[in-house]
Amino acid sequence: MKKLVLLAALVACGPKSGFRLTSMNDNDRGELQAALSHRQLPEQAAPTNSARTPRAFVVEAGSPKTIVAFDLAAGQVLWKADADVQSKVSVGGDFIVEREGTALVARDQQKGGVRWKVGLGGELVGAAADRERAYATWHEGGKYYMAAFDGSNGSQLWKTDAEGQLGAPSAQGGIVLEPYLAQWLSLIDGKTGAHLARIRGLDQQISIVRTTSQVAYFGSKAGILRLDSRAANGTRASSTYGEVHVPAQLDKATFGPDAYDPMQHTYTAADRARVLWSSEPSEGPLKFTNDGFAVHYFRYVFGFDTKGNLTWAYSNPRVELVASDHTGKSIVAVSATGDVIALDPKTGAVMSKKAIGTSAQVLGATFDADGWAPAGAEQPVETVAALVQIARDRDARFDRVKELAVQAMAKLPGGEVTKELLAILADNRAPQKLKDTVVDLLVERKDPASLPVLTEQLSIHDDFLAKTETFALGPVARAIAGLGGAKLPREQIAAALVALQSHLDAPSTQPSDLVFVIDAMAAICGGQERAALGSHLLLYHCDDDVGSDAAWTKAIVTALDVHGGPAEHELLRQVAQDPRTKAALSSLIKDALAND
Amino acid sequence: MRTWLAVGLSLALGGSALAAPAKGAAGGAKGKAPAKADLAPAIAALNGTGVEEAAAAANQLSTSADPAAHDALLDALAWGLPPAVAVNAIAALGQHPAPPDVPALKRYAGHHNPSVRSAAFAVLAMYPSPEAHQIVIAGLHDATGIVRGAAAAAAAKGHIREAVEPLFQLLARGEEPASRALAAMADADLARKIGDQFGKVPDPALAQCMGLILKRADFGPDDARVEIVRALGKIQDPAALSALGDYVDATPKNPPRQSREEAQKMIEARVGGGAK
Repeated sequence: MKKLVLLAALVACGPKSGFRLTSMNDNDRGELQAALSHRQLPEQAAPTNSARTPRAFVVEAGSPKTIVAFDLAAGQVLWKADADVQSKVSVGGDFIVEREGTALVARDQQKGGVRWKVGLGGELVGAAADRERAYATWHEGGKYYMAAFDGSNGSQLWKTDAEGQLGAPSAQGGIVLEPYLAQWLSLIDGKTGAHLARIRGLDQQISIVRTTSQVAYFGSKAGILRLDSRAANGTRASSTYGEVHVPAQLDKATFGPDAYDPMQHTYTAADRARVLWSSEPSEGPLKFTNDGFAVHYFRYVFGFDTKGNLTWAYSNPRVELVASDHTGKSIVAVSATGDVIALDPKTGAVMSKKAIGTSAQVLGATFDADGWAPAGAEQPVETVAALVQIARDRDARFDRVKELAVQAMAKLPGGEVTKELLAILADNRAPQKLKDTVVDLLVERKDPASLPVLTEQLSIHDDFLAKTETFALGPVARAIAGLGGAKLPREQIAAALVALQSHLDAPSTQPSDLVFVIDAMAAICGGQERAALGSHLLLYHCDDDVGSDAAWTKAIVTALDVHGGPAEHELLRQVAQDPRTKAALSSLIKDALAND
Repeated sequence: MRTWLAVGLSLALGGSALAAPAKGAAGGAKGKAPAKADLAPAIAALNGTGVEEAAAAANQLSTSADPAAHDALLDALAWGLPPAVAVNAIAALGQHPAPPDVPALKRYAGHHNPSVRSAAFAVLAMYPSPEAHQIVIAGLHDATGIVRGAAAAAAAKGHIREAVEPLFQLLARGEEPASRALAAMADADLARKIGDQFGKVPDPALAQCMGLILKRADFGPDDARVEIVRALGKIQDPAALSALGDYVDATPKNPPRQSREEAQKMIEARVGGGAK
C-alpha cells in the first residue's frame, strides 16, 4: 500500500507530461520567473560550445553533402565530414546534431565523427541543442512528439506528446522553448521534460523563436518579444515587445524561421531574408541595441534605425549570402562561395572576411558565435558604393531592392550621388520603373551641391557624328529647377545658364523638354535668362509646332511674366498684339498681364 | 515700339541685324532711313498674316539692292516669322550678305523646323566668316538627314575646308550628300585623300564620290583623273564600274586622255566588252 501511495505521489509531483489545450497555467508570472531563473546562462555572451570558441558549421552541396566546421576567430577549418544533412545543424557543448537520412545524428564537435544516431520514427519538425542535450520534435501522421537525448551517448532522457501541432524547439541554458499550436510557448526543463511555464500569446501568434546565449525572443513576422518575466502578460503592449519598420522592398525578411514549417528548418532561401538584431534589457518596449537593426536580404545587408531609415548598406560581391546571424557585437554571414564576413552592426563596415576554401556551393550555415566580434581594424564604410552596386545589379529578382537603394542614395547629399543616379538613367539595362523612380528622386533631391554635376550632364547633345544623344534632359532640368531659391555660386549659375540655353536653342529639344528647360532657367538664373527666353519666344510665337504647344506656351509666358521685368512684360504685350501669334499664346499672355 | 524691343533683345543676345545693320544700310535701327515708298507694301506684306504673301514679299525684297530691304528682312527675322516665311526671308537675306546677318542666321540655324535650318545653312555658307562656317559645320552633326544634306551642300558651296573632316565622317556613314559635297570641293590633293578612304568608307559612297569628281569639267590635270580612275579600279562594288562607264561615256575619245583609256581598259577587264 505504501508503495502504491508513493507511486501515486511521484506521478502527481512528476513532470507534467504532454502538451494540452487546457489544464495548464498560462501566463503565470511566478512560474515564468522561476523557469527563467532555472536557466544556466553565461555571465558574458558566449558561444554554446564547450570551448567557447566562435564557430560556424557550414553545409556544402554535393553527394553526399559536406559539413565544414570553421573556427571564426582563427579563420581556420576545424574539420570536414561527408554527411547526408537533411536539417539545420544545432550546436551543443561538445557535439552537433542534425538529421541525416531519417535519423537524428550527433557528431563530435571537435573532430566531426558520428557519436550517435537515433531513429525518430516520424518526420522531423526541428531539432535543438544546449550544452548537454539534444532535443527533437517530430510527428507521425497527426501525432506530435518531443524528446530529449543525452548529448554524450544519445540515450533518450524523456519523451512527450502533444494534442496538436508542435513547432521546432529552441534550447537555452537547460530550458527548451517549444511553440505549440502557434499560440503557446512552453518552457520545459531540458533534463526532465517537466513543463515549467507556458506563455499564451493573447494578441499575437507565436511562430518564431530565437535564442542567443543570454536572451531568448519569440513572436511572429509582425513583431518580436524578449523573453523576460513581463512576457507573462501575454500581450504586446505590456511585454518587452518590438517591431521593426522594414521597407516594403524587403518584406520577405523575417525575424527567424517559422517554427511550424519543417522546410525552414533545413537550409533554404528563407535564410537569406532575415531581420538581424540584438537588444538591451528594458522595462518598456524592446530596446534594440544602438537603436537599430539590420536586414540580410540575399546579397545585401542593410542597416536601419528604429524609424526605418537606412543607415548603411553592404553588397556582397557577385554571390548571395546564404546564412547570417547577429552575435551582439557583429553580424556574421557566409556566402554561397564560402566567404565568411563579419560586419559592424552599427556602421556596416567589414570587420573581417575569410574564406573557408571550398569550390562547392555553400547551402547554409549555423553560427555558434554569440558575443563574438573579430579583432583588428575595420575596413572603411562603403555605403554609397554598396548602394550603387545594388542599384546597378543586373539580377531582375532584386528590382524592388534597387528602388530601395536609389531612394537611400537620394537622401545622401553631394554631386557624386547625383552622378550615380544619372548613371542609372543612362544604363540601357536598368529597369524602366527604376529609372522612373530615379527621375522622381532627382527632382525631389534639391541638393545645391549637385548643380555642377547636373550642368555637366547637359553638355551631352544630339550629335549624329559623335553618335551621342541628349539624355535625361527633362529630369536634369527639373532637378535644376528644384534648386530655385537655393543659394548657388554665381559661376555655377552662369555655367548652368549656358548649358540650359544650349538646349533651349537646340533643334532636337522637344517641346515637352523645352518646358523644363525654361522652368529651370527661370528658377535659378535670377534674370540673366530673360534675353534668351525673350528671343526664344519671338522665334516660335507664330510657329505651328512649338508655338502651339500648350505646355510650352504656359512655361514661356510664366517665365517671362513671373521672372521678368518691365521690358519682358512689354515684350509679352507686343507679342500678344501680333496677329500672327498663336491664339492660345496670345490669350494666355493677355490673361497673365490682365492686372499689369 | 516692336523694333525697339527687338533692338534691345538683339543687343542682349550679342548683336544682330537691328543692332548692327548691313553694310551700306542707311543708318542703324535707331537712325534707320525710312523705307522707300516702293518697298513699303512688300515690307507690310512680309510682316502680315498672309503666309504666302509674306513669303512672296521676302522674295521681292531680295531683289532690291536698297539697304532698307535688307533691314526689313533682318527686322522681320529678329521678331520671328512663321517657318514658311522664314525660309524665304533667310534666302532673301543671302542675296546681299553682310557680316551682321550672321547672328540672325545663327538663331535660325537652331530652329525646330528642318527647312528653316537648311535654309540658314545654305545662306551662312556664303559668309566669309569663321563663325558662319562653324555653324555650317555644326549642321553636319544635325540629327536630321535632310539638314545634314543641306549643310553638306552649303559647305561645298562655300568651299569650307574645315568641313572636310566631318564630311569624311559622313561619307563613312554612307551619306550621299557628303559624297556630293566632297566631290564638288575636291582639288587634286583632296581627291587623293578621298581615294585614300578606300576600305574606310562604304564602297558605293566612295565610288559615287570619285565618279562625281571625274564628271567635273574643271577637275584636273589628267594625272589627277588617272589617280581617281585607278582608285575606282580598286573598288569591286558595281557602283565603281558604273562611275567608270559614266566617265568614259561622257569623255570624247579625242583628244586622247590616259584617264579615259585606263577607265576603258578597266571596264573591259571587268565585263569583257569591246572598245567604245
